Formats: sequence, structure tokens, C-alpha cells
Amino acid sequence: MHPDGELEALMVRYQEGDFAAATALIHRLSPRIHRFFAVQFTSRASADDLLQETWLRIHEVRHTYRPGEPVLPWLYAIARHIRVDHYRKTGRTSARELSFDETSEMPAPPGTQAAALTMEELLAPLPPSQREVVEMLKIAGMSLEEVARATSSSIGSVKQKAFRAYEKLRERLGKMGGQS
Amino acid sequence: MRDGEIDDILKKAGEAHPGPDPALIDEIAGAIRPGMRPVRPLPSARALELLLYLVALAISVIVAARLGLHGFAAMSGPQILILAAIPILIARATVLTIAAMTPGSKPREAPVTLFVIACASLVALFAILFRDPPGGHFVQQGMACLIAGVFTAVPVGLAAWWLLHRGFVVNPERAALAAGTLAGLAGVAMLELHCANFQTSHVAVWHTAVIPVSVALALLVAKLVQIRRTHARAR
Repeated sequence: MHPDGELEALMVRYQEGDFAAATALIHRLSPRIHRFFAVQFTSRASADDLLQETWLRIHEVRHTYRPGEPVLPWLYAIARHIRVDHYRKTGRTSARELSFDETSEMPAPPGTQAAALTMEELLAPLPPSQREVVEMLKIAGMSLEEVARATSSSIGSVKQKAFRAYEKLRERLGKMGGQS
Repeated sequence: MRDGEIDDILKKAGEAHPGPDPALIDEIAGAIRPGMRPVRPLPSARALELLLYLVALAISVIVAARLGLHGFAAMSGPQILILAAIPILIARATVLTIAAMTPGSKPREAPVTLFVIACASLVALFAILFRDPPGGHFVQQGMACLIAGVFTAVPVGLAAWWLLHRGFVVNPERAALAAGTLAGLAGVAMLELHCANFQTSHVAVWHTAVIPVSVALALLVAKLVQIRRTHARAR
């Protein structure tokens, strides 16, 4: 069975009250959601909290998943909402943006190999909207339509964000190649 | 550096990310266990769209019938075109409202685009189809229509809110814009059926104004609900 088809089947069983299916979904999807939060420079403790909060919310609103629809956009849309809600609640959005502005201008440490960078370091020069698109599209392997669904935007807008993100990454990784 | 090389670096960095602690995953599974029971998925989007569409049209027609169908009776052939255009816009607003209640729904135009298109197309149609010369009492008559239109929009907005509440709204601003536009259009539909004042300036200004007023009210309600929820969770 196609991996997405498996997720859909598990999701339907979860809606039917099958705890084994719910556990299987939690085990399979939690690493993705955790990485999604980590990409936004959330601390590990915050990423853990947000992951927990996301699953509790998914459990509350599991009836909003329609069988036959892709699971990942539905799940990422809820995770995005939790993240935005978290920033709003803690009032840290401006502080995050400030820290991003500082890090985006930060040059890579001399001699650092591109392949040795962590995901957070690699995506540091990108604004949050481009970071999440790159994470979903290139790391999580979602399609353009799935990312558009998850971010409530058009496919054109997703393509544009990915293109701009790659321009920045190419520039940064190119500079690093020159240094090493 | 080629795109394929960047893809590889990103993929490797993603794979190297240390996932959540297995104990945390078990804890999450344990937390949802007590609440495990079967749930019924939302009805199909088509069914909900049809329901909301019929509710919006029914409210407009019922209110107009109660107040008197003077506008409809006085309309000439081409002016009836406005009654064909509004239901099309209502149908689109219904689709966007229902999409807002489901996370990860199909990508569609932003509700703000529909809001702008609705206002602009109505003003253009009013300017083309309604040619009566300006008369007196512009503000007085206009305010009466605006209030009647907004009062018709309120129950449609409440119906939309009730349906949205059954789903999960991930973007309250988008949902409010879509529902506000839908409610405003229902208010305009009622006015077209009821109001026999065909002065271009009256219909273009006061009838169309029902849409931005309804959207503003919907955005205000969404903001208040959001603030209340944020405070409730913080406590």
C-alpha cells in the first residue's frame, strides 16, 4: 500500500475508535511534527510541548478529517495553527523575529562543511514562511499541492517561496564552499 | 551549487534531526487513550456548501418577502441580471466558508480576493444597470437600507458561525472574511428584492456597503473569540 494510503487507513481506524491505529499514527508522524517545530528555532523543550499539544488538538478535532483526503496537509495545518497560537499566547513572535534577523546575517563558521550543518543552522537565513515551505517540500517530501493545502496558500505562492529559499540557500552554501 | 545537491544536504540534515523522546510518544498515546471513542467525520464539503447556500438564500428571500418585494416588482428586464449575479457570488463565498472549517482543505482563492471581486463587480453592475437620477434623502434612505441589509446578514453569519464551529478553523481571519462576505451578499440580495430605490448612487454606495460592514463585524467577532480563547488557555 502507498504510504499516504496507509496513513489514510490508519486515520479512518482512529476515527472509528481503534487505539492501536492511533498509537501507530502517533509513532509514525510525531518525528515529522517535532522536526516541523524544530525548524522554527523552537527549543527542544518547546518542540516537545508543541508536539504534545498538537496531538491533543488532533484528538479533539479528529472528526474534521474527511476519509479519502490526504492526511499530511490536514495534520500540518493543525500543527501550524498550534505554533501560531503558541507564539501569540507567549507573545514571543517579535522576539523570534529579532533573533531571526540576528542569525540571518550571521556568517557560517569558517571551515564549516555544508553537510555538517544541522537543519536549524542550514535554514537560519530563511524567513519563517520560506523555512516551513522548505521543510514540508524538501525534507518531509510533500507535494506542492499538499504544502499549499497545509499553508492555506496557492501552489504558485508555494513555488515562489521555495524558489526564493533556494536562491538564499545556494548563495549561503556557495560562500561556505569558498571558505572551506 | 545545483538544486539536487541542496536537496541532498537538506534531506541529510532532516534525517539527522533527533526526533522526540520515545517516552514522550508513549506519554502522548497514554494521554489520548481515555478519550478514545468513535467519531463521525464531517459530512462532505459539497453537502455543507449546499446547506449553507440554501440557508443564505432562504433568509434573504424570507426577510425580503416580509418587508415586501417592491424592488423585484419594479425591476426591468436587464436589472434582473443583478439577481443572477448575487447568487453566483454567494455560491463562491459558501465554498470558501466551508473550506475554512477543515484544516488542509484544497487551495482556493483567498477570501479577501472574493471580497474585493464581490464589491467591485456589484458596484460595476449597479452603475451599468441602475440609471435613476439622484433624488433627496441620500443618507437617510441609505442608512435604512444599510441597517436592513446588515440585520439580514446577521442570521446568515450566525448560521455560518454555527457550521464553522462544527469543524476546526485554523485561520480565524480567513474564516471571518469568507463568512462576512457571504453574510453581506445575503444582505445585498435581500435589498435587491426589497428596495425600489434604483438611484445609481444609492444602490452602489448603500447596498454594496452591507458587505464591508458585515466583514468588519465578522472580523471583530473572530478577534474577540480569539482573545477569549487565548486568555482561557493561558489560565
